Amino acid sequence: MAALISLMILIPLIGAIITFLTKTRQQARAVALLSSGISLLISLFLFLSFDSASSSIQFFESYQWIGSLGISLKFGLDGIGMPLVLLSNIVIPLTVLFAWGETKQANQFYGLILLELVGVLGVFSSLDFFVFYIFWEIVLIPMYFLISIWGGPRKDYSAIKFFIYTHVASLVMLLAIFSLYFNAWQISGKPNFDMFYLLENYSLLDGWLLKGIITVKDAIFVALLFGFIVKMPAVPFHTWLPDAHVEAPTAGSVILAALLLKMGGYGLFRVILPILPNSDSPEILITLMAIIGIVSILYGTFLALAQRDLKKMVAYSSIAHMGYVTLGAAALIPLSVSGAMFQQFSHGLITGVLFMSCGVIQHGAGTRIIGDLGGIAKHMPKLAFLMMAGFLASLGLPGMSGFIAEFLVLVNSYFTLPTFVILALFGIVFTAGYHLWAMQRAVFGTFNEKLGHIHDGANYEIASMAVLILLIIFFGLNPNSVLNMMTTNAEHLVRFVALRGVIT
Amino acid sequence: MSDLYSYLLVAAIVFTIGAYGIITQRSGIKILMSIELMLNAANINLVAFSSFNGDTAGQVFALFSIAIAAAEAAIGFAILVVLFRVRDTINLDNINILRW
Amino acid sequence: MFSEIAALIVLLPVLAFILTLFLGKRLYSGGALLPIAAIAGSFIISLGVFFEIYPDKTVQQSWPWFAGMNLGILIDPLAIVMLLMVTFVSLLIHIYAVGYMAHDPAKPRYFAETSLFTAAMLGVVLSDNILQFFIAWELVGLCSYLLIGFWYFKPSAAAAAKKAFLVTRVGDVLFLAGIILLYFNISDVISSRAFSLDQGNFILQFRSMFEAAKFIDPSQLTLITLLFFGGAVGKSGQFPLHGWLPDAMEGPTTVSALIHAATMVTAGVYLVARTFPMFAATPVTIAPELHIPDSLLIVAIIGGFTALFAATMGLVMNDIKRVLAYSTVSQLGYMMLALGTAGAIVGAKAVGISLFHLISHAFFKALLFLCAGSVIHAMGTNDIREMGGLSRKMKITATTMLIAALALAGIGIPYLNIGTAGFFSKDAIIEGTFELGMETGGWGWIFYGFAIVAALLTSIYIFRLWFMTFTGTPRSERHPHESPNVMTRPLIILAIFALLFGFMQSGFYLYLEKNFELMGVEIASHESEEALVLPPIVVLMPVIVGVVGFLISYYIYHLKKLNMSRFVSSGNPLYRLLINRYYEPRISADIIGVKLTHNIAAQSGEFVDRKIIDTLIIDNAISNTLFRLGELVRKLQTGVVQNYASVTLLGIFLLVVLLKLTGGI
Repeated sequence: MAALISLMILIPLIGAIITFLTKTRQQARAVALLSSGISLLISLFLFLSFDSASSSIQFFESYQWIGSLGISLKFGLDGIGMPLVLLSNIVIPLTVLFAWGETKQANQFYGLILLELVGVLGVFSSLDFFVFYIFWEIVLIPMYFLISIWGGPRKDYSAIKFFIYTHVASLVMLLAIFSLYFNAWQISGKPNFDMFYLLENYSLLDGWLLKGIITVKDAIFVALLFGFIVKMPAVPFHTWLPDAHVEAPTAGSVILAALLLKMGGYGLFRVILPILPNSDSPEILITLMAIIGIVSILYGTFLALAQRDLKKMVAYSSIAHMGYVTLGAAALIPLSVSGAMFQQFSHGLITGVLFMSCGVIQHGAGTRIIGDLGGIAKHMPKLAFLMMAGFLASLGLPGMSGFIAEFLVLVNSYFTLPTFVILALFGIVFTAGYHLWAMQRAVFGTFNEKLGHIHDGANYEIASMAVLILLIIFFGLNPNSVLNMMTTNAEHLVRFVALRGVIT
Repeated sequence: MSDLYSYLLVAAIVFTIGAYGIITQRSGIKILMSIELMLNAANINLVAFSSFNGDTAGQVFALFSIAIAAAEAAIGFAILVVLFRVRDTINLDNINILRW
Repeated sequence: MFSEIAALIVLLPVLAFILTLFLGKRLYSGGALLPIAAIAGSFIISLGVFFEIYPDKTVQQSWPWFAGMNLGILIDPLAIVMLLMVTFVSLLIHIYAVGYMAHDPAKPRYFAETSLFTAAMLGVVLSDNILQFFIAWELVGLCSYLLIGFWYFKPSAAAAAKKAFLVTRVGDVLFLAGIILLYFNISDVISSRAFSLDQGNFILQFRSMFEAAKFIDPSQLTLITLLFFGGAVGKSGQFPLHGWLPDAMEGPTTVSALIHAATMVTAGVYLVARTFPMFAATPVTIAPELHIPDSLLIVAIIGGFTALFAATMGLVMNDIKRVLAYSTVSQLGYMMLALGTAGAIVGAKAVGISLFHLISHAFFKALLFLCAGSVIHAMGTNDIREMGGLSRKMKITATTMLIAALALAGIGIPYLNIGTAGFFSKDAIIEGTFELGMETGGWGWIFYGFAIVAALLTSIYIFRLWFMTFTGTPRSERHPHESPNVMTRPLIILAIFALLFGFMQSGFYLYLEKNFELMGVEIASHESEEALVLPPIVVLMPVIVGVVGFLISYYIYHLKKLNMSRFVSSGNPLYRLLINRYYEPRISADIIGVKLTHNIAAQSGEFVDRKIIDTLIIDNAISNTLFRLGELVRKLQTGVVQNYASVTLLGIFLLVVLLKLTGGI
């Protein structure tokens, strides 16, 4: 029982090292699938033995590391982290499976994918702010290489843009973490990087950062928020995402969209909401978050409508979908917050299918430009079927997980943010619009003979997409298995906020 | 007492000559010679202080320094020889590969 | 016994969907037998449930789902009549499709999708809460998308499928907004302790909604019901969201029959009927003299207007299916009109009147479409200008279609109470509008006007269709033949129902009248004590316009006594307006879809993203400034060692001077 989380993180790490050392791609992918599979089994065990009724940290582990600075390795899961750990462990093995045919420097490719798993698992389970930050940064490096080595024609530009954007945001967040840390050190006389401890001591901060403009508390809040929403990403800090996606290899896109973006949302629930009531101007900050959310939804939707590249369209749809996370979190109603958490989980599954579809099309038909495709359903029937299912899930069709999430967010956010919900509703029609328009032009209609001979996805590609679709439907019909633990924690979070007297 | 000052003065003069040489000369060999001058100025200081304090450690350091200077000179001349072969000149104005 | 397994009514077709989809290729006729068996099973169970609950029981089953919502089954009189109709008509259409789709290579997909379509519609009917209703409702939309785009390799089919989904999606979003608002208001009345949920009841169940409706702020209630109606407008193709329905003809004809008769479009009417107590509870503010609750008034106006509006377009269409499509839109308008106007006078009976027309319409419209399918199957074209004289070659089709046309036109003999199904169901609606006019006078007569003019047009366009298709001389070189038995038998069965269903009228009304009482909801009726004796001219009027319509068509299209070429030409602005469908496709697709949304909104967003955020701010402002700064600093790096040495010495000198000045040494 003990040390399961660190085991779950260590196994992919060891797997990654072995993968780097392997000689053939067959060995590399076998090791990668095996180690991520073991990690999946551990997380499944954790998930099944998780107590959904409790909002406290479970499977807690703690090891001394740098005592003189108060840094220790602390891991644990609650209803916020557990579903995302499960999601990471679902997505990575499927990504490895999807990329089963990778030939270019295969050992490094699979190794980097496993390193991504190490990074995100660490982010979602560490409870020490310093360790959290280390994992947060670890995630960047493999992704940089995934884009810059296996990427498309403009890979260097995109990789650098991705790195600079997210790294600058991380640094701003690091500044905020340090100010929390030194503040707590000053008060208690003892260094301690414990996440909950630092967040509790946030309320003891005082004074102005710039007299009359912004207080220290608000500045720290905004810095942390900045760190998270750039990762999500929210408008206007989103332009790295489409570029990164367009150039990244399919596996990279899947991981980027399904897992890396979730880190931002995770930060909202783990860090932002607990300190929100103690900030100096919670109402303004809530409104700020709600505006960011709604602008992301609408802006992302319209931008998706304007795209000619299928993958870029999907990238913009991610921005719109992540807007629901921000909106639901800002509404501060238990079910809206858990709806936002569920949106994270569900979007991770859905976007995986979408990017995999783009990958199969790129691979099979040689282009992703919607206008150059046309009628590919005729020669790629399996892909067309799964892609259709993925697109329907993405546009929020009931019976699939995306609907549950968006329904919960919209219905419950109406209590506190009615205007924003009405605006978000406008987005729904256009969301359906760009999905169906793209399907109509790319997949249906008469076959574009200029494409020449095209072929359907390989079996391993189709299989990993099919698994994701089944999961989407499963969680769309039976959301309780993850929704219950989310709701428990969301209620805890919101009660905590309400106790501090913020009722919006 | 005054003896020390005169030693230090000599060392300072030698050092300044060396520094002047480094800045004004264009030839690599002359610059290396100037560096030797500066090194020896430091050696004079070491020996002078050593004698002044009655501590032999300074003289030991000076001996070390002389040995290292010899090695450094050897490497420096080697670099210059290679440079001359590659570039046909040892005029350092033309050699700005340190740039960026 | 049947009541316990009521869930199977939906689950059987779902199971058939999955099995047919994956195994259909290996089975007989693309696995057609699976859905047929499943739907037959659903029909039998529905029939069993009907005999168990008739006349005054209901079936209720409920299971908790997520976040305080539930899944459940509610079978009351309203639901059971719909269940019977949907399963029965859908069963016949499926059987017919075995023949109609016999040569299509994608049969497994077809039968899987129609099976799911039926399942989704049954899900709508069975729901005991508005969320599940919405979910099934969306699945209906999905299936219509899949089926309209069944021949996805035809660009027009792909476009029509998308249009159908998007236009109904507009309605769905309104519906969703209504649910959100309803949830908010019910939560609100619960938290203010005016109302509490009974043990075992869930917040979005119909029962809870009707009980809570009494406490909800009236203006909010009006808004909620109008938003619901927005959903119904989308699904039932009412003005202004009617444009998708005629385009939906791109799918196979059997799909059109399913959409127009058994499933999908009736869902909108069913929604209004299902939530009728809430509509009836809205305040009377817009037109106090009419005594019509606000929401019902809107329903009546939209419905009445649509009935007339769509009928005008039906007059000029040349595609056999498109004429029928406009006819559907128009008839759905009648059903809405019935709910709206009769709701003001007869209260809960309005649901019976509307549903009766819905079901009789289902029979004769399914019949019309299947006959059209039979004709298309034989002729290979949809254009009635290329048909003619088919009655000799296709006797069964011609006869059954004539019966359907008579039913649609509402032909019958008043006072003797003999007539087609449409005669009973439509006349009740028209007479209802007359009663309203009588009671209120003034502009209350407008509804009667809508109804009676639309009835005349209906009769004209349907007999125009019949005469052009089946009489006269053939206008093209084709060799039509009667369809196989598997197709004609369903036609005959449907024709029997289209002829005889009307005689169930009074029993039907009585049964449905009690529907909401069973739920404990009272709906006030304003009907005067003594039955209004209608003057003979009013009773005769619907039949008169029906016959007049028939005669006009006979005169023009059969006897060809009137040369229509002066009217039917692009020089005639009225004709241009009608044949271009009031320019609706151009407005919705070109102007709203492409120009406004894509070209203006989306492209300007793209402009902002690329040109302003990326280029101006990131590239020019931030990135370039940093680069220029770098260039500046780079100049100091000469690469000449002596320069560095000089600077170092200078630095030391300055440091010494500084220390000297500040007294550091």
